Amino acid sequence: MESPLEALERRSGIRFPNLLRARDLSENKLTARRQALETLDLVRESSVVYVGSIGRAEAIEGSDDDFMLLVENSSDLPNEPSGLALVNQTLGTLDDFEAPGSQGVFAAPVVRAHLIENIGLEADDNSNTTRRMLFLLESTWASNQLYYEETLDGILERYIDQSVKDFRPPRFILNDMIRYWRTMCVDFAGKEYQGPEKWGVRNAKLRTSRKILFAGGLLPVLACAGIRKEEMIPYLKGEFVTPPTDRIASAFLDQEETIDAGARTLAAYDKFLGLLSTAEARNELETLDRNSADKSDLFQQIKKLGISIESGLLALLFQPGDSADLSRNYLVF
Amino acid sequence: MAPPTLTPVDESIVAKHSPYGVSTGFMWDERGRWDAQIELASQVSTTAVELSALSEEEVEPLLEYLRRTPSLPFRFKSVHGPAKNRRLEESELVEVLSRFRGLCDAIVMHPDTMLDLSPYKALGSLLVIENMDARKTGGGTVRELEPVFEQLPEARFCFDVAHACSIDPSMDLAEQLLDAFASRLSHVHVSSLDEDLHHVSLTPEDEIRFTPALSRCLDVPWILEAPPPILG
Repeated sequence: MESPLEALERRSGIRFPNLLRARDLSENKLTARRQALETLDLVRESSVVYVGSIGRAEAIEGSDDDFMLLVENSSDLPNEPSGLALVNQTLGTLDDFEAPGSQGVFAAPVVRAHLIENIGLEADDNSNTTRRMLFLLESTWASNQLYYEETLDGILERYIDQSVKDFRPPRFILNDMIRYWRTMCVDFAGKEYQGPEKWGVRNAKLRTSRKILFAGGLLPVLACAGIRKEEMIPYLKGEFVTPPTDRIASAFLDQEETIDAGARTLAAYDKFLGLLSTAEARNELETLDRNSADKSDLFQQIKKLGISIESGLLALLFQPGDSADLSRNYLVF
Repeated sequence: MAPPTLTPVDESIVAKHSPYGVSTGFMWDERGRWDAQIELASQVSTTAVELSALSEEEVEPLLEYLRRTPSLPFRFKSVHGPAKNRRLEESELVEVLSRFRGLCDAIVMHPDTMLDLSPYKALGSLLVIENMDARKTGGGTVRELEPVFEQLPEARFCFDVAHACSIDPSMDLAEQLLDAFASRLSHVHVSSLDEDLHHVSLTPEDEIRFTPALSRCLDVPWILEAPPPILG
């Protein structure tokens, strides 16, 4: 079946070769990981969940295996270090396995209840917010699909609470998504204050993939303005199990006049992914800081691609009519 | 900010578009006075501008001005390269234009004035090719522009909606240009043309006629090539 990204490619005549190649690679990686994990005897109420580039179907050669081991509650945790070790050991046998980042957000046991119940307030720390948002915005299962989907249901049921009204974007989840995007931006500045390491990679991603991730959540939530409350959970679930680029493509396809803008937006992102696929570009980005970035042709190119992505998304969000009204009424206050 | 067209705002696609700005090309009285041109342009919009160096002798002074004045309020800055009074060899001109890198987002060139395309490759995606009007002998149709882009694969496209209309008032050509070069689109030139095909303020009739084509360009800056009502 044709995906929204493929439909946008067909209708606009603009190609997305890197994004579609990344989808195939992500699918292959996931298949290998699902097969490997099938043999494990994990507790029934657990699931290995992939986020990151594999989770959002944008894997390139060398993509990290950003996964979390979802478990039912903290009483499972005493056994989990061994469960986690088993998962790590099994995934580590795969030729293309790349250990996830060292920040502790990934390759860790995550208590499902924490994702669902700790929204806001003290207990919802940076790691919990990040995990929950990535679970919503860019995740897929690698083991126990049922448990993964039940968790997705649980998070959505928590958000679509008594405050939500028919034909209005649900503000709870909307505010949390906006909070997460702004947190990423603020944390970027915080990390820069700590030191210039990885400034180039972080800035490049903030301009491109992080923006795509945010928009991929924002657009379906705003689209809830067209449906009744009881339709919102199945609608959002249906959206969040697809890649963010499909959600964005789908929003651009909704109206004839935004198809060209949508194709240019995703073509710019496609080009960014193409650049990031080369070790040369990744290595250069690793070395850049705020001062050297001005002199880097690669960084200037990525900056332009980021502007194209942002311009396209803004055109969609503020297109005269209902879109502009929704954006004005819900995205500022 | 006053609306940028004569059309009532409710019916105007231009009035609702962002980002937009003006070309300094119509500011004849302020020729050579870049500060005054910037000031006038800022009165219309501070989001986008096209600084016009249509005559070759204006290119170096503009370059010097931008070097001296790195901070301007506009988010999108385009430079319109020379289309008349050409004296420099192509390679010499490209060398001068390449010094605009980092000072602007785009350099617009008329394809009919580019005699040898190969030196322009050096400008990469900074170079933007504009479609020409019915007066010109080339560079107006898809068939005429395709070889240009084949030789300049990184170059982008400036869609002049009035130029397209001057060749094909049915606006089929406008659609064909957008079909062919949509992925390269950098920005749009918006105006009407008088009988001599000179740029004049966008008329309400033309705005209606141009709306379907402009609707395909919602994500890029629109540059008004003739004075909007606010500037009289």
